[in-house]
Parts: sequence; C-alpha cells; structure tokens
Amino acid sequence: MEFGPVIRALRHHKTGTLLAALQIAVSLAIIVNASFIIKQRADKISRPTGMDTDNIIVVSIRGVGENYDTVANITADLNLLRNLPGVVDAAPINQVPLSGSGSSTGLRTIADENVQAISTARYQTDEHSMNTLGVNLIRGRNFYPEEIEPFIPGKTERKTPAVIVVTQALADSLYPDDDALGKPVYWGDMSSSTIVGIIDHMQGSWVSWDGLDRNMIHPGIQADTFVRYIIRTEPGERDRLLPIIEERLTERNRQRVLRYIRTHEELIQRSYELDRVMARVLLIIISLLIAITALVIVGLASYFVSQRTRQIGTRRALGATRADIIRYFLLENWLITTLGAVAGCVLTVLVAYWLETSFELPRLDWRYPVAGVVVLWIISQAAAWVPAWRAAQIPPAIATRNV
Amino acid sequence: MMTYYLQNALRGIKRSPGLSLLVVAAIAIGIGVSITMLTVYHLMSSNPVPEKSEQLFRVQVDSWDPLRPFDDDRPERAPHQMTWRDAMAILEQAPAPRQVAMFEALVIIQPPDAQQLPFEATTRMANGDFFPMFNVPFLYGGGWSRHEDEAATQVAVLSRTLNDKLYGGDNSVGKKLVINDRVFTITGVMNSWSPVPRFYDVINSPFQEVSEIFLPVALTPGMEMRSAGSDWGWKAERINTFEDWLASESAWLQFWAELPTSADQRTYLSFLDAYANEQKLLGRFQRPINNHIHDVMAWMAYMEVVEEDVAVLVGLGFLFLLVCLLSSVALLLTKFNGMSAEMSLRRALGATRMQIVGQNLTEVSIIGLTGGVFGLLFTMLSLYGIKSMISRVPDALFRLDGTMIAAAIGLSVLAAVLAGLYPAIRACTLTPAQQLKTQ
Repeated sequence: MEFGPVIRALRHHKTGTLLAALQIAVSLAIIVNASFIIKQRADKISRPTGMDTDNIIVVSIRGVGENYDTVANITADLNLLRNLPGVVDAAPINQVPLSGSGSSTGLRTIADENVQAISTARYQTDEHSMNTLGVNLIRGRNFYPEEIEPFIPGKTERKTPAVIVVTQALADSLYPDDDALGKPVYWGDMSSSTIVGIIDHMQGSWVSWDGLDRNMIHPGIQADTFVRYIIRTEPGERDRLLPIIEERLTERNRQRVLRYIRTHEELIQRSYELDRVMARVLLIIISLLIAITALVIVGLASYFVSQRTRQIGTRRALGATRADIIRYFLLENWLITTLGAVAGCVLTVLVAYWLETSFELPRLDWRYPVAGVVVLWIISQAAAWVPAWRAAQIPPAIATRNV
Repeated sequence: MMTYYLQNALRGIKRSPGLSLLVVAAIAIGIGVSITMLTVYHLMSSNPVPEKSEQLFRVQVDSWDPLRPFDDDRPERAPHQMTWRDAMAILEQAPAPRQVAMFEALVIIQPPDAQQLPFEATTRMANGDFFPMFNVPFLYGGGWSRHEDEAATQVAVLSRTLNDKLYGGDNSVGKKLVINDRVFTITGVMNSWSPVPRFYDVINSPFQEVSEIFLPVALTPGMEMRSAGSDWGWKAERINTFEDWLASESAWLQFWAELPTSADQRTYLSFLDAYANEQKLLGRFQRPINNHIHDVMAWMAYMEVVEEDVAVLVGLGFLFLLVCLLSSVALLLTKFNGMSAEMSLRRALGATRMQIVGQNLTEVSIIGLTGGVFGLLFTMLSLYGIKSMISRVPDALFRLDGTMIAAAIGLSVLAAVLAGLYPAIRACTLTPAQQLKTQ
C-alpha cells in the first residue's frame, strides 16, 4: 500500500531509523545465538539416562579405626537395606553414574599394546546392581552371585574379572562389525574378560565426556573403608525412605562416618549445575533484551506520533480512516524491523562464527535466525500497536488548530 | 555556569521524564549485564598471588607411556601431575629454596568433645614449605619446619573455619587432635585465605575453598593416605598393597617450586633433565625429555582456568551493552529533537554552540551517572543471583571490587556521553532561524 510515503517519511528521520534498525540487528544476533546455546544445554540435560534415577538414593560411608571389618559391614548394610520395606534393591558400587567422579579404564579387543584402547567408565558392583540402577539388560545374562568376590586392599589379590557386562554403545565401539556378546576384551595388563551381557543404554559418570554412554560393569566388591551404596525405592517412596535409611545405617554401626546420603536426582543436578546456570543467565539476557527492544520501539513510535500530530489530523480530515493511520505506523515499524532483521541475520552469523571458532560450539542451525526474525516481527508490531492506536485517536479537527 | 547547566539539565530531564527514565534504565541494564559478566571473568582470570606469581613454578616431568603422550590431542604436553617416587626424589634433591609436593585427601576427625560424632574433613597433604611459599596468612602459630617433615611428625595446620568449628575460634596451637586414629599436634591456624583462582591446585576444581586441614605429606605411607583428587595412570600394574601404589606409575601429586631468578629456573630445568636421564637408565621415562616449569599465570592459562561459558557471556554481555547504547542514542536523539525549539531560542538569544553542547552533555552525563549507579545495584543483585545458583564456590568469585566499580561508573558515563554526543551536537547544529520559523 503506502510504501512510498512511509519510506519518504523515514528518510526524514534517517539517523533515528538507522539506529533503531541497528539496535534490532544486534538484539537479533544475541537472541538467536543465546537461544541456540540454551537449546543445546537443555538437550544435554534431558538426555535419557537409561536408569531409574528418580527413585535412587546414594549413600557413602567411611569406616573408622584399624579394626573396622569392611566385608562384614558391607554385608550387614546390604542386608539391612534390601530388607527395608519400600526398597526394591540395593548394591555396593565403586562410583555413581552421573556424579562427576569415578574411574575409567581402557579396553582392547586385541592383546596388543600398540592398538589404541577404547576408554570406558568402570563400575565394580554385584549382581543386584542392574536391578538397582533400573537398567535394561537386553542380551546375555546378569552376574552369578558366585562371581562376586570382595577385594580387600592389602589383603587379597586383585583379580581380573572373568565376565563383564557392557552398554550397547561400548559394545559397538569395541566390535563395530561384530556381535560383542561372548567376545573377549583385554585390560591394560592384557588379561581378559568375556562380555556376557549387553545393556541397551546407561549413562556414565562424567556428563561432559563424549564417552558418556560407554560403560562397563564388572563383578566384585571393593571392600575399602570407603563404600558407596545405591538404593532403589518403590516409585514415590524415595523421600520418605531417605531419612529412615540415614538413621538405620547410622544406628547399625556408630564407629563410622556417614559421608553423605543424597538422592541420585540431586547428584545429577549438581553435575548439570553450570549448564543450568548458563541457560538461566542467557534466558534472563534474552528477556531483558526483548523488554528493552519493545520499550525503545514504544518510545520511538510515540515520538514519531507526537511529531506528526498535525499531519495525522490532516490525513484524517482528508478522509483517512483510523485503520489507515494504524496501518501506516505499523508499516513504518515493520519496515524498520525488517531492515534491522536483514542486518541482524548477517550479524547473527558473524557472532555464531565467533562462538563456533573460539569456543568449539556447534554450527548454528539455520532455523534459529528465521524463528528469531519472526519473533522480532511479532514483538515490534505488538509494541508499535499502542502508539499507533493512540495516533488513530487524534481527531481530524486538530489539523485546523494552531499548534 | 555549572550550576546553571545543572539546573537546566534537571529541567530538561523533567520535561521528558519517560524518555529520560528509559535511557537511565537502558544504561543501567546494559551496565549491569556487562559488568556482571566482566566481574566474574575478571576474578576468574585474576592473579591470586601478584607479589610472587613470577617466582612460583608448577613443575612437570614426563614419566608417561612410551607408546602414547599424556594428552593425545596435545602430544607436546607432559603429565599434569607427578608420581609419588618422582615427587619425593625431586623434593629431596632439586636445587630450589622452597618446593612443595602435595595432594588432596579426606581424613576423619574426632572432635575434642567426645560427645560429638567423628566427621570427614578435606585435607591437603603437603610439606611445610607450602605456607611460606604461598604466603599463607596465619591467625595463630604457623606452619611446620623441614625438620618435622623429615621426621614425619604428626603435626597439623587448621583452616580458620575448622578451628572455629572445633575450638570456637580459640587459639588451638599446641592442642592435640585425633585424626584418622592418630594424635596430632596443632602448630598453626590459618587466617581466612581464599585465593581466587585456587592457583596451587586448579586440577581439582580451580574455584573452591582451601582445604580444612593441612598435614605433612611425609605421613602418606604411614597413614596409607589415598588421593581424593585426580589421579592418572597409563601402566597396567597390579596394585594390591599401599607400597605397590606408592611405587606405581600413577601420577597423583602436584608439585611447585619457588625459583626467584632466571638463573635458578635454568638450573632447576637442567636438574629435571638430568633426573629424567637418570631415570631412563633405570628403564623409566622412556619418552623424549619433556620437562616443564610454568609460573602461576602461565599455569592458569595452560590449565584454561577461565570457564569458556564466562568468556561467551562476556562477549554477549558487551553486545547487550551495545544494544542499550544504540537504544540510548536513538532515545536521546528523539529527546533533543523535541528540545530543538528551546535550543534554537537560546542560540538566538546569544548562546554559543559550545555552550549548548556543554549544556546538553551535562544533561547526558547526569543521565549516565544515574544509569551507572543503578547499573551497579543491578550488578550486585545479579552477582548475588548467580552465586545463589551455584553450590560450593567461594564468595570471593562474585565480589565486586574497586576496579569493577570504577569500570562500571566510567563505562556508564562514557556510554552516556558517547550516546549523547551525537544527538547533543546535532541538536545544536540546526540553524536557529529555521527551527524558530517552523513554530
């Protein structure tokens, strides 16, 4: 419609128009790139864990004193835990998935030091662990109770386990072209274990490690003064049982320190804490940016309207309807926003390039700038609506008055 | 003249309170966001021991796998930590006025009040040089001597927090404390000390409080103290006993040396190379000689202590400030345009252009300063907000210091003047006659 007059009018306010467009351009660059980062963090946090993390409690205990009997205490603790009403199962474990700490090892399919080993987190636990974690064993078998041997540092000989269970991701890394079940793997000292079971999916200990899905479970109990237990409760029973478990374990033997008892959920949240903070901070920045952009649009449009009171009155007197006036200002605003959006797309790509090259962030998805432009259109039109509507209320008679 | 400018400026602000408020808000938010990010970045990358950061060196020797480097992606790197054997040998033989070998561990403390339950405390196993070397401030007593290191005496230094917890803040020097079933004598209580970054150990989290208690590293074999921090290994070794562990190729100790002059540094490096060659004869150190010393700031850079996310936020924060600046210019332009009639009138009455520009800049500076003050308040609020979202970080990482306050105020006035300069000048370059005519 009235592109001509709108553009001619804007030419009179070159600097203001240009500044507003530039402001929109930079806003777009920030909003798009920030949203893209937020999406990546949200995806990272919401990856499936493969475990029943909502119903798991983690306990860490340390025995005190020279004569603390580690094996007897572990046996008694597990007995107590497994017989507690509401508890599904419990197991000792050397490290807790998604906790951010633990140990890893390298496995090979050929007994040759020169072959690069595949790194994997290493969980040492008993035959109750899979039920406790709630992982899904899709092929093969669980450990037999007789395969679980305690290792007492300084007292017993450390042995290579005869059997191990691996996640599908680890199986695929070890034997990309073959079925891993029943096949051998070699440890660093070239002793070997046989893969007897495959879990479909389970996340490991370090959430930012690219090998998060590669995990191995081997039978055994590390009977150290430090022990960790994982406990799975019936759904909804976790929070009720946590203080009870704390009390029972403390009572059972006072000669030790209950290092911590936490829900698995809390441990996981801690692991993702910085990702969450980053996402939140970016979200706040985006909100502030949108608020500022909207306010500036309202401010500028109001000014434009106030400058043209007489002009509007004249147009109205010459037969322009209220809708025409509103349309005029909305069109003006749309032009400024679109000008900004075009420049903004270029700037967005530049910022994305800076992030990609300096910080190893993934390449920006093209749909984000498109969505960003649409959002800006909506916001700026909504913000311009108020002054435009006010402009439309200017009576035609004002044109005849002296200012 | 100045008061006249000020009065006029205030009147100008009052005339368009909405626009002025919007500019103040834009500057405040822009300053708030950018200074918040900058503060965290500034503290993360700050020098924790400026007085001797160029004399303290982090020591690395390459004892790694003959077949593979320590870091596959950066094969030039030596292992970040040392084995027990190497750390103890270098500690004993190397030519340096002070050295420290250390690791993080956990101990059980039996409080003096027997009614209380024993609890776990974070411990740093180190030798006595740690305290003078890193300028650790003491509230009571002091560290222990080399003699006590050599004799592996059961002595301890407490952090102020632990001393408060155990002794209610009293002077506990000379008191006995039961740690892991052994009786220790307290030689000193540290004053509050929270270097940011925690430079002496950035491997086990660079932003954490210091340990609660310090014990002689020489007690490691006797107490069978295991590292609670990172350990790296490459060799498949069967480790059954604690002696096996100590003799293993696992690297779990961090090592620092104080080397005041460049001559000291050269001598030290040649010692390390000679040591590596000696070890080669024993069948260890089969990689090419690759020993390094890094001073504090070089080590911080090497370990990439500044979180990548924070750098991203600083970048986005300043783009945000740019948005706020552009908004301010646009808004101020609007504002001064609205005042062109008044300015023209003043020009017609004899005011020079410079006087009008001065007048306008005064107004803009007031707006900028107000924006800056609110921006600082906003910064404090957001620093507090971010801190409360993160567990286990020292408060010192979120403290607004003088530099940052000055930066915020300076930046806001600069921003406002920059934002206001063009509109202010433009507004008064209009010919007065023309402006008056259109009235």
